[in-house]
Amino acid sequence: MPSNLSSDVIIVGTGVVGCLIAEQALDAGFSVLMLEAGPRVSRDTIVENYRNLPPRLRNHWNAPYPPKPWAPHLETRTESEGASYLDLIGPNAKAYEQGYVRYAGGATWHWAGICWRMTPDDLRLKSLYGVGRDWAFSYDVLEPYYARAEHAMGVCGPRDPALQWPPNTTRSRPYPMGPIPFGPGEQRLTDVAATIGMQNLPAPQARNSGVSFDGRPPCCGNNNCFPVCPIAAKYDAATALPRIEAKGGKIITNAVAYRVETNSQKKIEAIHYFDPNKTSHSVSGKIFVLACNGIETPKLLLLSANEKNPHGVANSSDQVGRNMMDQPKLVADVEMTEPLWTGVGPVQSSSIMNTSQGDFRRDYAGAMFRMENMARSTLGGLAALEKGLYGKALDQEIRRLSACTARLTVEHEPLPLSFNRLTLSDKKDWLGLSRPRIYYDVGDYVRRSATQYTVPLLKKLAIALGATDIKISPEFLHSDHIMGGTIMGNDPVDSVVDADCRAHDHDNLFLPGGGAMTTGGSGNSTITMAALAIKAADAIVGQLNHG
Amino acid sequence: MVNLMHRRLSAKLSFLAAFSGAVFLCSSASARSEGATDQGAYIAVTSDCVACHTAPGGKPFAGGLALKTPLGTMYSTNITPSTTFGIGDYTEADFSRAVRKGIRKDGNNLYPAMPYTAYSKMTDRDLHDLYVYFMKSVRPVESTPPKTSLPFPMNIRSSMMFWNILFRNDRLFQPDLSRSEEWNRGAYLVQGPAHCGTCHTPRGFLMQEKPSESLGGASLGSWYAPNITSDKISGIGSWSPENIKTYLKSGHIDGLAQAAGGMGEAVEHSFQHFTNDDLQAVATYLASVKPVRDPEDGNTSRFTLGRAISSADRVRGDQPIRSEDNSNMTGAELFMGNCASCHNFKAEGSRDGYYPSLWHNSVTGASNADNLIATILFGVDRHVSGVEAFMPGFGGRKSDAAQLNDEEIAKLTKYVLDTYGRPQVSVSGAEVKLIREGGAKSPLLALTRFGMAGSMTIITLACIYGVFRRIRA
Repeated sequence: MPSNLSSDVIIVGTGVVGCLIAEQALDAGFSVLMLEAGPRVSRDTIVENYRNLPPRLRNHWNAPYPPKPWAPHLETRTESEGASYLDLIGPNAKAYEQGYVRYAGGATWHWAGICWRMTPDDLRLKSLYGVGRDWAFSYDVLEPYYARAEHAMGVCGPRDPALQWPPNTTRSRPYPMGPIPFGPGEQRLTDVAATIGMQNLPAPQARNSGVSFDGRPPCCGNNNCFPVCPIAAKYDAATALPRIEAKGGKIITNAVAYRVETNSQKKIEAIHYFDPNKTSHSVSGKIFVLACNGIETPKLLLLSANEKNPHGVANSSDQVGRNMMDQPKLVADVEMTEPLWTGVGPVQSSSIMNTSQGDFRRDYAGAMFRMENMARSTLGGLAALEKGLYGKALDQEIRRLSACTARLTVEHEPLPLSFNRLTLSDKKDWLGLSRPRIYYDVGDYVRRSATQYTVPLLKKLAIALGATDIKISPEFLHSDHIMGGTIMGNDPVDSVVDADCRAHDHDNLFLPGGGAMTTGGSGNSTITMAALAIKAADAIVGQLNHG
Repeated sequence: MVNLMHRRLSAKLSFLAAFSGAVFLCSSASARSEGATDQGAYIAVTSDCVACHTAPGGKPFAGGLALKTPLGTMYSTNITPSTTFGIGDYTEADFSRAVRKGIRKDGNNLYPAMPYTAYSKMTDRDLHDLYVYFMKSVRPVESTPPKTSLPFPMNIRSSMMFWNILFRNDRLFQPDLSRSEEWNRGAYLVQGPAHCGTCHTPRGFLMQEKPSESLGGASLGSWYAPNITSDKISGIGSWSPENIKTYLKSGHIDGLAQAAGGMGEAVEHSFQHFTNDDLQAVATYLASVKPVRDPEDGNTSRFTLGRAISSADRVRGDQPIRSEDNSNMTGAELFMGNCASCHNFKAEGSRDGYYPSLWHNSVTGASNADNLIATILFGVDRHVSGVEAFMPGFGGRKSDAAQLNDEEIAKLTKYVLDTYGRPQVSVSGAEVKLIREGGAKSPLLALTRFGMAGSMTIITLACIYGVFRRIRA
């Protein structure tokens, strides 16, 4: 039976962005209805999924989240799986194999929890360095929203301003919790990096450090933040779902939005979705929020093309789906003579950020360097077994590989490039909807950075750590930070949303999150997405209050 | 089930199910105001006034905490020296009458949720110091908490007059001169200001404490205040005085027990601030309390059951990767998915003791599952010496990140009892539901609702009998 529900605010997507907006709207007294394409699975099931995986699949972050046929997401365990959803083309297709999860709670299920703010300079690339674009506002405007996001999610971080990022800026509120101490591997990296002018900072992270936050326990170092924090010490949006329901919000799962309907006044009137029986339903409301991530949001807008909106909804600028960004990543697998012992504490807990800033950005990209802090025992065990060892020799080799190996990564700041574009593929999914096709080329700005700046620095860092062997990935990889597809700007001619993530074309449609980010910076995108979500929520509540 | 209901509804009903609600006091609600060094402040701490008279996140002693009792929800009152909303116009005599006799300045009766039957033992000196503290050092708060309105006929406060005739103890603490000074100090604290019996002593039909089973263990809303008599099997007779002191000071002893629920609050707000001499005195007195044996305990103490067993071995190897919840999760799977990440897959906890072992643990070794169920539902949040001991709830609150249902919690509880604790204890989803909802309701209420006349007759007869007995005595 087709249904037609109604609510003040309709939100598509139950990830961090959708959940932050839902809660704020509910707190302001408005009704909220959320649509989630995928299933709602409880933490204990996902934790046991992870632990039941064979060791060689443990590093596939999507493996504990098998997709439903109607809500596919990318899995990369085999070639055919890799080709089964995202239709990726272009010179760096591999660098856009984005591993998001279409489950209630979204991709924060397996995010690292890292919360680097963007810097004042990151928001002014065009005026400072003549590349990319300037944001619609300065850092001062964004700062209070960063602080609110840190307190909404529970971000721990250092009290010492010298260890805070961005440097030389004022914070309106301290982090709600102090930092998580370094494990031995991170401490060693910090000491070594300092000798070559690289400052390894304790990462602000949405993870409870020594104290509870919001009814969630302190981190106890299970060291599997991805693919899932087994105790919800790390914020993920799934933890917000019961609270949203307790406040009166309604969540419909297995509801795949496929069309946004506009009326003659260019307002959004309804969103149509399929249930798993392929029955179509619709929901109507006053304000509509598409928060289904930087790939699904532009896809949904393009799918909604009709006579009234020939290029898709919100797309009079032809910018929907363009400027797709992520930080192109290179990794170095390093062997050393001395033990480093990663694996104590969270899987990521620090980064080198000072390499992301500087005048060189006129010519090539800045970048963030870091070391994975995953325990290496699984990888070491598999590698030792492949060597055909057994008995005591096997034990010794597992120990050596666990202690004396590391993975260093460098993530490059992307530019918004209009040719990096999401369109609708002629290949269809299980429901008959077009799959997303994405052309991706990291661009010369990033390639120059790798050649002239980051790869030499990566090698230098590895050697300083005592590397006897360095293997650098032959091509750019993805960082899973999907940005740019519904780009923000003050000019409706070349951008999709305004400074509040409101669509220029439709004043009751909001497209907050990574898609709205004008540039990407070098750090992880979630805290900026969350800040934009809170800014959008203020605008939504204001709009509902004043009609 | 019948047995369970019988046990719950027959005797162990307490006005002081008080603590059963989700009771969390924020750090601003510390009893340590500026006058903390004076004697009255210390007496307020030993009497734990702040625990009930402060709402979560509220100002100290301003009242407003919702106390979920078997008879309905009560709200604690403002006991700051505000003349409009608090006790600012109380004379010392008024104050003493309220604290020790349960009568307000306006002559109305307090409900015995206020433990005046214990406070009645307090010395004049302590009462004086306490009065001075409240009048001089507590900041007046000019607001009034919600009014208590119990359902009829419990809203008739004067009915408490009869209860008082029967059960109020109007005698000050009487020292036993054959005992040491330390013992007498301990007895005074336990029976008087610290009001241990209010929670730990089982209650009779009219909710009076049963002196014959003093400190023998009692249900308290969702939680169970266990037997703390000197019995070596059912009580804490096997504990050393050091054990008792450490427990009261920290709320936690590896391999024995940890404080949650009302006891977690008592440690947080009261016991951790006791002087070492007073803790020693309490330990000395408790070691002498008449042993009470629960036949259900057989000959095994709740502290010695269970051992390390791998739960991981029971679930690995034959499980599919699921994209939806399995409604038939086994107890072992629930344990691995929800408990093992902190308590470890052999349930031995962490080496530093932050995560307690689930075997050799009073909660899993007890003869009833109440505290295990309540802990899973509501978690633990105990702040001692500025350090937090925390476990999340798994669905006791609607906003909890994990939401286990009644049957899942029953299955998990039974698995933990079978594997790591006392396997003879049975658990049902209905019992979980009852604890989730705050414990059993009083049969008094049912009686008065469905048979007002009959029950009042019984109560009246009981009162007449009691008065008669007193007169004869």
